[in-house]
Amino acid sequence: MTVGDLWVLAPYVIVTAGKLVHLLAVSFWRTPGVSLWTAVAVLVAGVVGLAVEAPEPSEILTGFMVVDGLTTFFNGLALVAALATAVFARTYLAGRSGEAEEFYILLVVATLGAMTMGAANHFAALLLGLEILSVSLYVLIGYPEEGHPPLEAALKYLVLSGVASTTMLFGIALVYMELGTLRFDAIGDPAGWSAITVLGHAMMIAGIAFKLSLAPFHMWTPDVYQGAPAPVTGYLATVSKGAMVIVITRYAVSTDLFSSDSAFNILLVLAVLSMIGGNVLALLQTNIKRLLAYSSIAHVGYLMIALAALARIASPDVAVETVLMYLAAYFAMSLAAFGAVSILSSSEASRDADHIDDLEGLFWRQPLASVVLTVSMLALAGIPLTMGFMAKFYVITTGVEGALWLLVWSLVIGSAIAIYYYLRVVIVMTRPAKEMVYPQNDAASLELTALTALGVTIMVFGIYPTPLITLVRTLLGLA
Amino acid sequence: MMTAAEIPLEHVLVLAVLLFLIGLTGVLVRRNVIFLLMSLEIMMNACGLAFVAAGARWADPDGQIMYMLVLSLAAAEVAVGLGLVLQLERRMRHLDIDAASELSG
Repeated sequence: MTVGDLWVLAPYVIVTAGKLVHLLAVSFWRTPGVSLWTAVAVLVAGVVGLAVEAPEPSEILTGFMVVDGLTTFFNGLALVAALATAVFARTYLAGRSGEAEEFYILLVVATLGAMTMGAANHFAALLLGLEILSVSLYVLIGYPEEGHPPLEAALKYLVLSGVASTTMLFGIALVYMELGTLRFDAIGDPAGWSAITVLGHAMMIAGIAFKLSLAPFHMWTPDVYQGAPAPVTGYLATVSKGAMVIVITRYAVSTDLFSSDSAFNILLVLAVLSMIGGNVLALLQTNIKRLLAYSSIAHVGYLMIALAALARIASPDVAVETVLMYLAAYFAMSLAAFGAVSILSSSEASRDADHIDDLEGLFWRQPLASVVLTVSMLALAGIPLTMGFMAKFYVITTGVEGALWLLVWSLVIGSAIAIYYYLRVVIVMTRPAKEMVYPQNDAASLELTALTALGVTIMVFGIYPTPLITLVRTLLGLA
Repeated sequence: MMTAAEIPLEHVLVLAVLLFLIGLTGVLVRRNVIFLLMSLEIMMNACGLAFVAAGARWADPDGQIMYMLVLSLAAAEVAVGLGLVLQLERRMRHLDIDAASELSG
């Protein structure tokens, strides 16, 4: 490790140092405003840090972390998602009792954990990043002082995520016991793995599938999504899952994990169950946060097609490109959907406006929020001219190239089912409200600006995705 | 004195697997949140033991470093977990995780 390496780690150095300033600032001026704006400044500085050109680029830092295009792209997504979450949390927390300062501190710490996962090339880095992220999330989920659902969601997530983490850790210990290395790039390919190594990988995949909420490890998802405060749910759905997607992508590329038939078949089962199960169960939901939870299960299932294609297509880079394009679209769509829900829930009420009837007459009550919610629903459904269509097009192309017919058909069937429940949300918004079931509120302009920006992003990159594609290809060194 | 090299790896591995299964059973069977956290702790210690044994096999410090990371992770999880337990006790007047389940649909 040299001084030059610090340049490569610029975003990490900036966010960590900014974190310390943040803590000091909050201890001197204990107001939510100071905490929010310091957090925003730290996150924006982190985004700027991504553009720092290292004088002597070295990608691998003592084998612990890798800062390559994959890392940088994900760090950008994570920082922007954290910014959006901070903005949406502002009025959400202002309307509720309790102090809001620690929320933003935990949010930045969680983002640092996700960024560490994004660069992990060593199981120790993975463990550190994962737990910085998870422990912060336990508190963020249970943050509201009043109401019972957040507490229940936080406890459920703590216990179940703890079991998943330990399962993954035990798997890592078994792999280490057999292969004697913790570095991703030293594990080697699956040919000639002993039974214990295979078992270790099965346990790791189970832990990872839990974090990605792939069926049948998805049981916690609807409850936690429903109980968590709406801005945190958006963060949980995007950053926490995205970080794990990057880890499994990097691991699969380094070790060629899915060239082994057993690993590939496990992935196949997880992906098909998630795509079909997630979409079918979403049909039954009347709570929009639960609906989005099942929809996120299905979306991560679609994303797994790109991972399955890694070992089946001529150039794995195309599969990695698909992963990044899908993640970008998924981040924008989910953040817009949960952002709209948190804007609607930003009032004095002790519960979130997450029942589907709460959306009645929304087109007249809050035109802007409902238009963005409509855009995000159409994008999640994969309607053309949105980012969701572009992402699905990428996944299908990659799946067809890898001749993964079962997966591609599951995606097509799943998407067909999904149109029903996404459109139902839109139709409910156009219905006149029978009675005011949820207190009225006036959304602040900052939140609406952020929400509009997300909606515009979904549309612009849906109609003209070339800049995004160029960015991803440049970062991956494909251009 | 018995050194680590004299204890066969298989024995340690079996012990770690047993500890892991005891912890997992505890999480599945127990309904009191305190006992859930204790069972989680047992599972984490099983991982720690496996890492130390693996590190001894390769005469490599990485296993012990992982054990220290697991240890700090366990401490952090329990700290947050106990905080939530206090909240649960204050709001619900009991620690039964099954009774704390309003979320469903």
